[in-house]
Amino acid sequence: MSGPNANGLSQPLLAISAIGKNFGGVAAVSELSMVVQTGSVAGLMGPNGAGKTTLVNLISGLLPSDSGTIRLADVEIQRSPSHVIAELGIARTYQNVRLFSGMTVLEQVMAGCYVRRGTSLWASFLGLPKARAARKAVEIHALELLDRVQLANRAHLLAETLSYGEQRRVEIARALGTSPRLLLLDEPTAGMNAQESNEIGKLVHSLRDGGLTVLIVEHNVQLVKDYCDHVTVMNFGRFLADGTPAECIAHPDVQAAYFGKTTDAERIRTLR
Amino acid sequence: MDLFFEQLINGVALGSLYALFGLGFGIVFATLGILNAAQGTYASWAAIVALAAADQYKLPFIPALLTGVVAAGVIALLVDQVAFQPLRRRGKDMLGALITSIACWIILDSLAGTATGHNSLSFPRGTYPSTMYHLGTIPLPVMQIITIAAMVAVTVGLHVLIRHSRFGAAMRAVGWDQTAASLGGVNPRYVVIITAFIAGSTSGLAGVLGGITTHNVSFMLGEGLMLKGFAAVVVGGYDDVRGTALAGVALGVLEVMTSQYLSSGLRDGITYALLLGFLLLRPRGLFGSLTYSRA
Amino acid sequence: MNAMQGILDFWAAYRSTLAFAIVNSFLALSTYAVLSAGILSFATVTYAAFGGFLGARLVLATGFDPMLTLPAAALAGAVLSYLVALIFLRLESHWMALASLALILITRVIVINIPVVTGGVNGMSVPLPVSLELLAVLIALAALVFWRLSVSWYGIAAQSVREDTAVASSLGIAPRKIQTIAFVISGAVGGLGGMLLAGALQFISPDTYFVNIAFTMIAGVVLGGSYHWTGVIIGAAVFTALPVIAQAIIPEFQDVANGIVLLLIMIFLPRGLVDPLSIRLRKNFQIPVARAIEDPSISKPGVVK
Repeated sequence: MSGPNANGLSQPLLAISAIGKNFGGVAAVSELSMVVQTGSVAGLMGPNGAGKTTLVNLISGLLPSDSGTIRLADVEIQRSPSHVIAELGIARTYQNVRLFSGMTVLEQVMAGCYVRRGTSLWASFLGLPKARAARKAVEIHALELLDRVQLANRAHLLAETLSYGEQRRVEIARALGTSPRLLLLDEPTAGMNAQESNEIGKLVHSLRDGGLTVLIVEHNVQLVKDYCDHVTVMNFGRFLADGTPAECIAHPDVQAAYFGKTTDAERIRTLR
Repeated sequence: MDLFFEQLINGVALGSLYALFGLGFGIVFATLGILNAAQGTYASWAAIVALAAADQYKLPFIPALLTGVVAAGVIALLVDQVAFQPLRRRGKDMLGALITSIACWIILDSLAGTATGHNSLSFPRGTYPSTMYHLGTIPLPVMQIITIAAMVAVTVGLHVLIRHSRFGAAMRAVGWDQTAASLGGVNPRYVVIITAFIAGSTSGLAGVLGGITTHNVSFMLGEGLMLKGFAAVVVGGYDDVRGTALAGVALGVLEVMTSQYLSSGLRDGITYALLLGFLLLRPRGLFGSLTYSRA
Repeated sequence: MNAMQGILDFWAAYRSTLAFAIVNSFLALSTYAVLSAGILSFATVTYAAFGGFLGARLVLATGFDPMLTLPAAALAGAVLSYLVALIFLRLESHWMALASLALILITRVIVINIPVVTGGVNGMSVPLPVSLELLAVLIALAALVFWRLSVSWYGIAAQSVREDTAVASSLGIAPRKIQTIAFVISGAVGGLGGMLLAGALQFISPDTYFVNIAFTMIAGVVLGGSYHWTGVIIGAAVFTALPVIAQAIIPEFQDVANGIVLLLIMIFLPRGLVDPLSIRLRKNFQIPVARAIEDPSISKPGVVK
């Protein structure tokens, strides 16, 4: 159950405890713990190779964990298959956009709505009236989602013919189709200009205001400062620092991790 | 007891054919990443060409054999360049190469049927050595000795080539990733062509020897070798020639023994049961590596 | 009068080709059923053998009307494919394809060794009249089924699983469930197709359901277009009709013609004759163009204002 507990504090929606993942002899993630509060926008930062995407893969079930636990509300999910995790309410996008080839924009989002289709496969196959009605309702919902990412007028185009930024937004709409409680965005603004990135940030905020919890992996420091409520920083697969965006960015270890020597970090800090 | 040893030797000789064929098939599978449905036709055509060389052009045994083997290598090379090369540019796709190999299988098998008049032909006496040696009281036709010796020689040669030579390293690099290999200074087109030739001529050798010893020169020769050679590759380990050779011989022995002591109807059953068993339980085979599996 | 006779002669000669084209379509659809969910499997041939031998034996032993035993063949195929799915879906995709080939090889050995059911090495004759009308009705039914599958939620799920299994799973689509359904459909259609093949051939033996038709079946599927069920039927028809046409022109080399056509299509039209993607790409670029034409504010080169 996530919601205020007896002390009036929000229960974390996502609680990760000492999670670990090895590939061969390499520890991609080790002893990592963090929480994401319900209804917040959490940022996940770290230099390249820090293990951020691996962590997202562990949360979404693309990879099974080797050690530790991941809890979504009260349910342990660290070894659950990804379709079960999706049904429990976690959806995600990918660092390199992974849209289905050959499908229109609307069809991508419809695929995302599969878990909330409201009818059995059998009824859908037979074309029963109730199934048709449910399908129509889902289609309307999918168009609404496309509207939220400003792509409703592209609904019937092949998704792969859209621009990169548009494809990213389709991916977000598709993930939203599962009606998730937690949305994982893996570098959603990579390759976008400032205006597009701000649009994404505003979208994330409006999603949060609608009750969604969001975890964003980001390199864009400005975006993180403007739109994240809380940030966790990783390095070498381990927890480095966490706190408000300002706290993290000013943190000496974080600066050292991104910029190398402490003296350089000092210089950067004074520039701010 | 004598019968047992005689059948044992028969099994080893038959298995050597399977092993030889499997070596060629395995090279294409493990190194070029292609399930080549046309591989069997290389064996059939090697036998047909060798027969024509021996029977019509009166070539002695070794030259006729070599003619067949080289012919098979050339056919394999052509198939690779016509059917597989156009697909390589498009990226990795097992299904595409499989389908074009099926197309070549259809073409080559059909032409082989036409060449033999849809009959099963035999090498006439005198075109191949037929001395009969004896191991104690057990008869040992020289062709069996030649077959087994050829298998051993080719296995050793291929193993040294693949594992211990620069060309072998290039073969493995190209099989893994052509772009990366070319960045490393390897000419992938050249390596692929030579590899295809080697694979084709190896299976071709099995075809000529098989055509002589089983008195069956036809498109069916290749198809029979294909299935057993495929089993040898899977059971032995798709990327280890020693495994393929061992498995081929073992399967040959098992087959002959099953036919002799159990029932001839179950001859093929044990081979295919082993094949399926390995695929389900240990796909990398006895000696195959655990790393990323090809195709 | 002569023209009429000519047409009747033509029809008589090519009736059986049409019949075989329809029968082969069933086998192709069976392969497509799993291919459209991302699985390459030759096991259709095994389902066909099961349905063919079992159905034929059932008719001979019980004297039942073949019409009643056709559903039995489909059911038998579906049960077998469900069992195969349980074992095969645990394998990696490329090993699964090879295992399905091994399954065909073992099936033949089994067929040879149970002569009571299958007639053993010698095969069995199948006095099962399968009329062209029946085939037409059945293929129309099959088309209906595959059309409904493609436009229903199952179709979206299967396409997602095929295109990107990991992403599909992260959207809550359980790949194993969808693929098991695909296997069962494949088995039912394959078992039915096997029995229809027995009826069309009037004689079946261990070699009827073997590697040969496995390869020609997959070739027909890919040639026609493995991304839509209409392509699959067209591919099977072309692959059946081509050698017959070729025989009239270059007898003795009709199979070679088949091989050459297959090769050319795979190289130049790798997605097959019927490719929904290229059709959609064309439509894709017409929509904005059509809108631009209607929108007076967008300038068009060459149009004088």
